[in-house]
Amino acid sequence: MSNAAVATMDRKPMPGMKVYNKKLGMWVFLLSEVMFFTSLIGSYIILRFAHPDHWTDPGVVLNVPLTALNTFFLICSSVTMVKAFAAIQEGDQKGLKNWLLATILIGATFVGIQGIEYAALSAEGFVPALDAYHAVGRGNPHEGPSLGGPLYGATFYAMTGFHGAHVSIGVLCLIFVYIQALRGVYTVADFEGVEIIGLYWHFVDLVWILLFTIVYLI
Amino acid sequence: MEEQEHAHPRYILIWVILLVLTLAEVGYAFLDLPKIVLASGLIFMALWKALLVAMYYMHLRYEPRRMWVLAASPLPFAIILVLAVITEF
Amino acid sequence: MSTTTAPETHAGHAEAHHELGFIRTYIFSTDHKMIARQFLFTSLLFLLVGGTLASMVRWQLGFPGQPMPLGGGLPDTMAPGGIILPEFYNSLVTMHATFMVFFALMPLQAGVFGNLLIPLQIGAEDMAFPRINMVSFWILPVAGIIMLASFFVEGGAAGAGWTSYAPLSASGEWTGVYMGQILWLTSLAVLGFSSILGALNYVTTVINMRAPGMTWFRIPLATWSLFVTAWLLLLAIPILTGGAILLLFDQTIGTAFFRPEGSGEPLLWQHIFWFFGHPEVYILILPAMGFTSEVIACRSRKPIFGYHSMVIAMVAIGFLGWIVWGHHMFQSGMNPLLGMTFMATTVVIAVPSAIKTFNWMGTLWRGNIHFDTPLLHAIAFVSLFIIGGLSGIFMAVAPVDIYIHDTYFIVAHLHYVLVGGSLFGIFAGITFWYPKMFGRMMNEGLGKVHFVLSFIFYNMAFFPMHNLGVQGMMRRIYDPNQYEYLQGLQPTNTFISISVFLFAATQVIFAFNFLWSLRAGKEAGRNPWKSNTLLWATPSPPPHGNFPEMPIVNRGPYEYSHPDAEEDFWPQDAPPATSGSGGQPAASPTPEPVPGD
Repeated sequence: MSNAAVATMDRKPMPGMKVYNKKLGMWVFLLSEVMFFTSLIGSYIILRFAHPDHWTDPGVVLNVPLTALNTFFLICSSVTMVKAFAAIQEGDQKGLKNWLLATILIGATFVGIQGIEYAALSAEGFVPALDAYHAVGRGNPHEGPSLGGPLYGATFYAMTGFHGAHVSIGVLCLIFVYIQALRGVYTVADFEGVEIIGLYWHFVDLVWILLFTIVYLI
Repeated sequence: MEEQEHAHPRYILIWVILLVLTLAEVGYAFLDLPKIVLASGLIFMALWKALLVAMYYMHLRYEPRRMWVLAASPLPFAIILVLAVITEF
Repeated sequence: MSTTTAPETHAGHAEAHHELGFIRTYIFSTDHKMIARQFLFTSLLFLLVGGTLASMVRWQLGFPGQPMPLGGGLPDTMAPGGIILPEFYNSLVTMHATFMVFFALMPLQAGVFGNLLIPLQIGAEDMAFPRINMVSFWILPVAGIIMLASFFVEGGAAGAGWTSYAPLSASGEWTGVYMGQILWLTSLAVLGFSSILGALNYVTTVINMRAPGMTWFRIPLATWSLFVTAWLLLLAIPILTGGAILLLFDQTIGTAFFRPEGSGEPLLWQHIFWFFGHPEVYILILPAMGFTSEVIACRSRKPIFGYHSMVIAMVAIGFLGWIVWGHHMFQSGMNPLLGMTFMATTVVIAVPSAIKTFNWMGTLWRGNIHFDTPLLHAIAFVSLFIIGGLSGIFMAVAPVDIYIHDTYFIVAHLHYVLVGGSLFGIFAGITFWYPKMFGRMMNEGLGKVHFVLSFIFYNMAFFPMHNLGVQGMMRRIYDPNQYEYLQGLQPTNTFISISVFLFAATQVIFAFNFLWSLRAGKEAGRNPWKSNTLLWATPSPPPHGNFPEMPIVNRGPYEYSHPDAEEDFWPQDAPPATSGSGGQPAASPTPEPVPGD
């Protein structure tokens, strides 16, 4: 190839993963989050194999109906999120804002309900600490033998607590994205910020899908 | 730029499937079956839900194949950790 | 659109930043080269901290029960009258390892050279996420301050070993350390974010920002090693973070994940820790392997022997490193069948490392070798890594490990790979890339003196430890003389301690050379080592934006002494050989002359 031909060669980076940097970066970050939840959920699975007597049947201590509803809410918020993304892909600013707002509100609701759940559970003695654990089960009077064991409480709060923290951080990021949307930052030509917060939000939903099953139903 | 023309109805359809699976899980969890049957069935349903979210909401289905490999990369290590340590107990 | 963007003119981009003030240029910089320098200075300071702690450990072992020089200045909770207390000794061994592993070796390799080398070697103007890069650096001093602060709380610094096994670490009643252990875990959890953010930056940059023509198998081995290291960081560090959080809960809110009194499982901690811990040790060695490859090829004026197998070996190490963790736990009471599995996988992982070792030797073989300081350090890396690797094979075999686990044989092994390996590899990297970072050469005479003395004192210090271990001296022990059968080893321990002090003193030469050359070193010019990578196509130091326009890559990085080339090197971005003119390529497109060596 002559020097002239080389000089006119396109000076663009190699195609690489064929997705833009922010999207690749978010996916790569989510992989580290998978490993983080693996350590928490993996510990739970291992401890449960080691001491199955610390756990009860589903629904005895934990409030499955309320959490199933909460799961429904979180799944809805994934739909509103993806609708927001679809809106800005077509340049629909109003749709973007409305669907983002909906996602924020539903996400906040999820955290709120989880907080209420925590309060109710700890009031009846279902706590993470070893010495203080004394779960009596839903609907039972506050006397009676303790159900399950402290590992139940410890793993429950560790897993759902960190998931809830991730949802909360997600809500804060969504609020930031919402404010950016109000300022007209996103256009049909550039909506990277919306897409990557969407990826994070769906991931948080995905983790919950697994957690709900593992923690509440098994 | 991925094709998104028929994306909208897809999202709602996925939402319905997720809801149905969630209700199915809750119902299934309280059946009187051996623990191992319950656990496997529930995990199977949960994995399907997770896959749907990843494929459609996270658009993995429309990304280049190499992204699928990237996205799946932590899974073998996660599985190895749990399976190996379970043999201790 | 939202696809990978074509680069705007780098020069224009650079000019826009011309007016950044002092703070944005030197404190809160987003330029990867400045961040590399920040990592360098900070981690060299932490290396000094780690070395000081080691010296105190060696004082106790070499001169037991005697007042330490300058020890009178320490509080009575640590060393009354300058005599180190057993509890303080536990903190010393713990914190020595902690500072060395997390605050020196990791940032010196991944932080400094990941930042410096990756964009320059692949032809990019900076990292994919410069602001995240800046955050990733600033977390390091914050975490370091938390870790240092733990020395000054009641109960002192963490004293349960850098492996922090439960239940010893979970409850202060065993070590006497309460807050210190909590701060230790907190500091590491915070530091983990630095690694994760850095790793995602490196992975994204290498995948998406390579210059045209920079195919995967034209990437220099230093960048390859940092890429694999980044994947290990990304996936392993979060495991430690999770485990550390659970242990923190055990310490603070009374859970019992790992405490047996609450049906917790101490072995679970060990599995979690080592599942992180084994990839961690590859994080600590892979970059040094990459630096060694660069230096050996360049200074032998020969292509790296077996470039493809070098890449595959590193990727293989990256994969296999996940399934060997149990070899740290052979004596823990783990399931013996599981133990056997780990023994098999551990023996297998020696193979890719051996392949790399043979390839380095193959590169040197019949090369036109320039024995300058970087090459001396690189050769030391290879030879000392071999020793460390060979001792590793003993430990890999579980029945042998029964005898040598938690003895000084292990201490010898880990110091051969981490000091003989990683540290000498880091010295090779610093001496090799210093000219590009600072525009000046380090003094060659001082460099050679530092190398020779370091090499001699290092081996005097650590080789005898193999024997100590086989004789039964256990690690982390405050007073081996309490056991009659170990009393005969005291002269060896004293000899080792003196050697360590001499090794430490020798580093003053390096520090002086480093600092003095910043101002008074010979001007380096663009490509003093006559190396091929894109990094050397830039001025020394490179300007903001690195390249005036994105380079075009026409060949691999190791075309040294190529028959078709005019000189004994052929830069990656030099135009292809024009046919019909005897294969003589035109000069490299960057016009600056290379000064005579």
